[in-house]
Amino acid sequence: MKSLIRPLVAVVAVVTLAAGCASKAPSASGGSGAGGKKQFVVGYSQSNNAEPYRAQLNLQLEYFMKQHPDMKLLPIADAHQSSATQVSQVQNFIQQKVDVLIVSPNEPAPLTAAVQQACQAKIPVIILDRSVNTDCYTSFIGGDNYEIGKLAGQEAVKQLPNGGNVVELRGIMSDQPQIDRDKGFRDAVKANPKIKIVADREAKWLKDSAVPIMQQWLSKYPKIDLVYGHNDPMTLGAYLAAKAQHRESQIKFIGIDGLAIPDGGIRAVQLGELTSTFVYPTCAKEAADTAYAIAHGQQVGKKQVLHTTQVTKENAAQLYKQYDMSGKISG
Amino acid sequence: MTQPVTREVVLRMRGIGKSFPGVRALSGVDLTVHAGEVAALLGENGAGKSTLMNVLAGVHGDYDGVIEVGGDEAAIHSPKDAARHGIAMIHQELNLVPDLSIADNIFLGREPRTRWGTRDRSAAHARTAELLAGLGLRLSPRRLVRSCRIAEQQLIEVAKALSNNVRILVMDEPTSALADAEVQRLFEVIRDLTGRGVAVIYISHRLEELEEIADSVTVLRDGAYIGRRDMAGTTRAELIQMMVGRPLGDLFPRESGEHGGGDVRLRVEGLSLRAEAGRTALHDVDLTVRAGEIVGLAGLMGAGRTEVLETLYGAHRPSAGRIELDGRPYRPRSPRYAIRRGLALVAEDRKAQSLVLGNTVAFNASLAALGRYTRLFVDRRRERAAVAGQVRDLRVKTPGLNATVRNLSGGNQQKVVLAKCLLTEPALLLMDEPTRGIDVGAKAEIHALMSRLAANGTALLVVSSELPELIAMCDRILVLCEGRLTGEFHRDPAHGPPANQEDILAAAMARQAVLDQETADA
Amino acid sequence: MPDQTATEEETVAAETGGSPPRLRTRMRRLLPVLGSLQGYIGLILVIVLGLATKGEVFWNQTNLTNAVGAFASRGILAVGVTLVILTGGIDLSVGSILGIGSMVSAMMLVHHNMTPWEIVPICMLVGAFFGLCNGVGTTWLRIQSFVMTLAMLSVVRGLDRQYSNNVSVGTQVVNDQGHLTPHSAQFQDLGTPGHNVLTGVLGQGVYYPVLALVVVCVVFQLILSKTRFGRHVYAVGGNATAARLSGVNVTAVTITVFVLSGLLAGFAGPIDAAYSASADPLAGTSYELDAIAAAVIGGTSLAGGRGTIVGTFVGALILTLLDNVLGLNAVSDNWQLVIKGLIVVAAVVLQRPGFFAAALTPVRRLIGSSPREGDEK
Repeated sequence: MKSLIRPLVAVVAVVTLAAGCASKAPSASGGSGAGGKKQFVVGYSQSNNAEPYRAQLNLQLEYFMKQHPDMKLLPIADAHQSSATQVSQVQNFIQQKVDVLIVSPNEPAPLTAAVQQACQAKIPVIILDRSVNTDCYTSFIGGDNYEIGKLAGQEAVKQLPNGGNVVELRGIMSDQPQIDRDKGFRDAVKANPKIKIVADREAKWLKDSAVPIMQQWLSKYPKIDLVYGHNDPMTLGAYLAAKAQHRESQIKFIGIDGLAIPDGGIRAVQLGELTSTFVYPTCAKEAADTAYAIAHGQQVGKKQVLHTTQVTKENAAQLYKQYDMSGKISG
Repeated sequence: MTQPVTREVVLRMRGIGKSFPGVRALSGVDLTVHAGEVAALLGENGAGKSTLMNVLAGVHGDYDGVIEVGGDEAAIHSPKDAARHGIAMIHQELNLVPDLSIADNIFLGREPRTRWGTRDRSAAHARTAELLAGLGLRLSPRRLVRSCRIAEQQLIEVAKALSNNVRILVMDEPTSALADAEVQRLFEVIRDLTGRGVAVIYISHRLEELEEIADSVTVLRDGAYIGRRDMAGTTRAELIQMMVGRPLGDLFPRESGEHGGGDVRLRVEGLSLRAEAGRTALHDVDLTVRAGEIVGLAGLMGAGRTEVLETLYGAHRPSAGRIELDGRPYRPRSPRYAIRRGLALVAEDRKAQSLVLGNTVAFNASLAALGRYTRLFVDRRRERAAVAGQVRDLRVKTPGLNATVRNLSGGNQQKVVLAKCLLTEPALLLMDEPTRGIDVGAKAEIHALMSRLAANGTALLVVSSELPELIAMCDRILVLCEGRLTGEFHRDPAHGPPANQEDILAAAMARQAVLDQETADA
Repeated sequence: MPDQTATEEETVAAETGGSPPRLRTRMRRLLPVLGSLQGYIGLILVIVLGLATKGEVFWNQTNLTNAVGAFASRGILAVGVTLVILTGGIDLSVGSILGIGSMVSAMMLVHHNMTPWEIVPICMLVGAFFGLCNGVGTTWLRIQSFVMTLAMLSVVRGLDRQYSNNVSVGTQVVNDQGHLTPHSAQFQDLGTPGHNVLTGVLGQGVYYPVLALVVVCVVFQLILSKTRFGRHVYAVGGNATAARLSGVNVTAVTITVFVLSGLLAGFAGPIDAAYSASADPLAGTSYELDAIAAAVIGGTSLAGGRGTIVGTFVGALILTLLDNVLGLNAVSDNWQLVIKGLIVVAAVVLQRPGFFAAALTPVRRLIGSSPREGDEK
């Protein structure tokens, strides 16, 4: 028995190590780069890697950082959706005295104090996507979820000139983007009183959860004219459910995110599964450029709101090419 | 202790009835107990003794009938009620938390408090030391119960009851796990308690103990009240007849004369086993068992008897020794392999080691022999036919093959264990305390079964703490002490020293001789 | 055959004094197979609730198929988890194993263009491997199964996310003409909601996950109730020492149930991927809890030794139909969570042996009638 345990432990160890190496982490010690030229170290704390949107953001940030040879991005810290973890990660970066700190806050309130600490340590902070409750940061870069919701609502009004029944798949109820995307949409569809939001439910941003919910709606409502999902995976889940009952052609599908990955919204619009989606900007390029500017002592805008691009069948192919990261980054 | 008791009645239970789903466990049972009396409660297993006592202790909240404590009617529907009336029960399986200290166990749930509401350890320790001293126990109150011996734990339970101002103390088979000397200690404590006016309700199967300790005996049978006798002037035969409902001829049906002229079935040479937690070491044990022979293993608790059986059965790995089965070498690997080689074990603790209590009679009985009824699927028809046959032969009292084993009485549970062993058609049957905690009737049936098996050529190796049983049933008795053989006794004096209780006990307690040998070895 | 055994039993019963009526004997015999009566009562209550509030909208094949299909992958996990729980253990890693199974299947389809006939067995092997790790950990390394599988939950999820780079992988692979590739189309048949299996045999037909769930339940019910291995599973869970001394190889049984649990989770992976037409790095998160809930509602005791696959199936039906009924009635998600939690509590309390007898006792005392025998079940 014992003779078997040892190789097994070895196998497990090897697998674990291999998995660790595979992430190709550059060492965190590098402060001064080659040629004696000053290299600027950037730390980035991501709230949750396991969301396709954020995974894409990570890839893009790594890509755009590489475009600046004297900028060096430390391994991205993943907070696994835990604010407590993220606070300690931010504090770690402060300890390492990074030159620029980028944070995608998991939640505003818990991260506020950590960002203030960085600020006191004279480390410039770039806040991405979600705000914090302090002014003590260098720059905020983000999309406007309310704006995107509103644009989605306007698209709905355009698609349903004679009004109709709309169902809404919501993200996790307590998430701020969910709240804003809902509010913007509702404000916009008020333009046509004949548009009715007949049902809305929480599908937790997940495709899996959206399918049965849509199935129930299809059973319950003989007439559904438009599905609005707070992200593309949920909207695509609804599309799958409708397709199974051959009702997909009678329904318009509007999503948000517009990721340029094979499984993402742009491709879905291209294939005609979604009527339209709205690119939620990942801020990666802007973040990299801003970090560069800060490091070189240039002035940057305190608040940079990025505008969305609507994806339609006409521009989908071109947008996909524009945003596609595959091939640009190794690993 | 046999003066007629004319003291006040502390407890009167009248017309007590209790049903379980599918079973009427008690009906119309009376019990009267006087202050300072040892009232024995006697009956076969399943007669309702434990149920009656559980009613008294508040374990069963719903019952019919009336309980009077000290002359007033007492509504006892929870253990709390029972405690309020000064009733305490010491169960056969002790209810102590092994990883707490003695003091913590005694005051569990009602820890003395200081003024600030924190636990007052020094008060608890002082009071515990006092209680233990009163029972003649020299143990530190801080000691963990896990490290105390069974007999000590028993007395800790007594101390716990005393700390609670007990008036009526119920003891369910308190001696079943005790050696003789420890039993005497316990009896002294009981006499001391009754001297202080505490009434003791004493449940035991050992009639000789009752003769020594009890003042009165109340007999139950099949959940009904049979009668009450003063112990003085009542014979064993009379009590047995009351319990069994029929006169019982010979308790041990094996006819005299040594059997076992058969071939050597099991030959063990130099069997040794290393000691481990809770396990006695074995040193150089040699033994043989012939076909048709019943060989007994005697010894005190912890002498290594169980270890011999379990090692042969493959539950432990021996450190040395040669074993032959029917002339072919046998190396114990696992119980599974042992069964394949024709061994079967009736384990010491049937609830913990032998039975899946929550499952059915059929499930348990066929478990070890399932391969015989299985191709791809288990052939339920053949399986049930075989089990039904055993249930009939062994006269298992069960509502059916699908009855849950937990609901059977101890004797019937043991018969299910036997059925399980017999269905594998063993050539060598290892039995560890096969009749412990079993009523007289079932005991006799098991003895008869052992004789029958031996007559059919099965070899039996039997461990028992009851010497009369061993002497009556076995052709040869081997005595173990501290993991070594210290004696061999024969039914037929022609083969060697004859078996009698005194000599066997002397061999079993030959600790000094063993220790001497150990120093000589070293 | 049933007649013969029934007679035997009555013989025994008659000999020992009791004479239970024939019907009850038979019912008792069936009960261990069918699971607990309470489960069926719960299921009927949910169905009645659905019929009463939504009528035809609830009770039509499409809705019911959809409801079962949505839970199918979790139901398959529940079967594996039930096996483990029956031996007295627990398996928290099945959700993660499903996740890696779905990711592996999508990658094999997209990057290697393999057929489902190759993909599904490989996923099962992957799942079985992690199950084996669980089994070895709990037996040879003597780690409690809760701890071991909790660790495995983390390890496997981490590997999944590393492997996928946190990017979901779509399983709808399109060729130049804009049609699904043949392998992708086949793969999608594993899970796409619709009526594509048993059409005609079973009304409008069901879809593959529903069929898969039913087949898995039937197979494992047979294994548990009819084979020697099944008996050994119950024995190990009921009393491991007694099982060992009765010749059961406890280590082998324990490892096997973990392997089977992992195998089933691996099998559910591609189904889940096909169901949502993509493998998400988060797929299967917290599915293990739904699976355990289904087993518990179905009458499986976490102490081991008691429970059936049929019971688990009924438990899964209760969970998913309840979700369906509440959804159709537009009950808010927050209250749905509350209700599901309460259902688990109710199920456990109601299924306690002798619960009805105990609950009726005060009533009887009031009425003053004598207790009837054997009304436990």
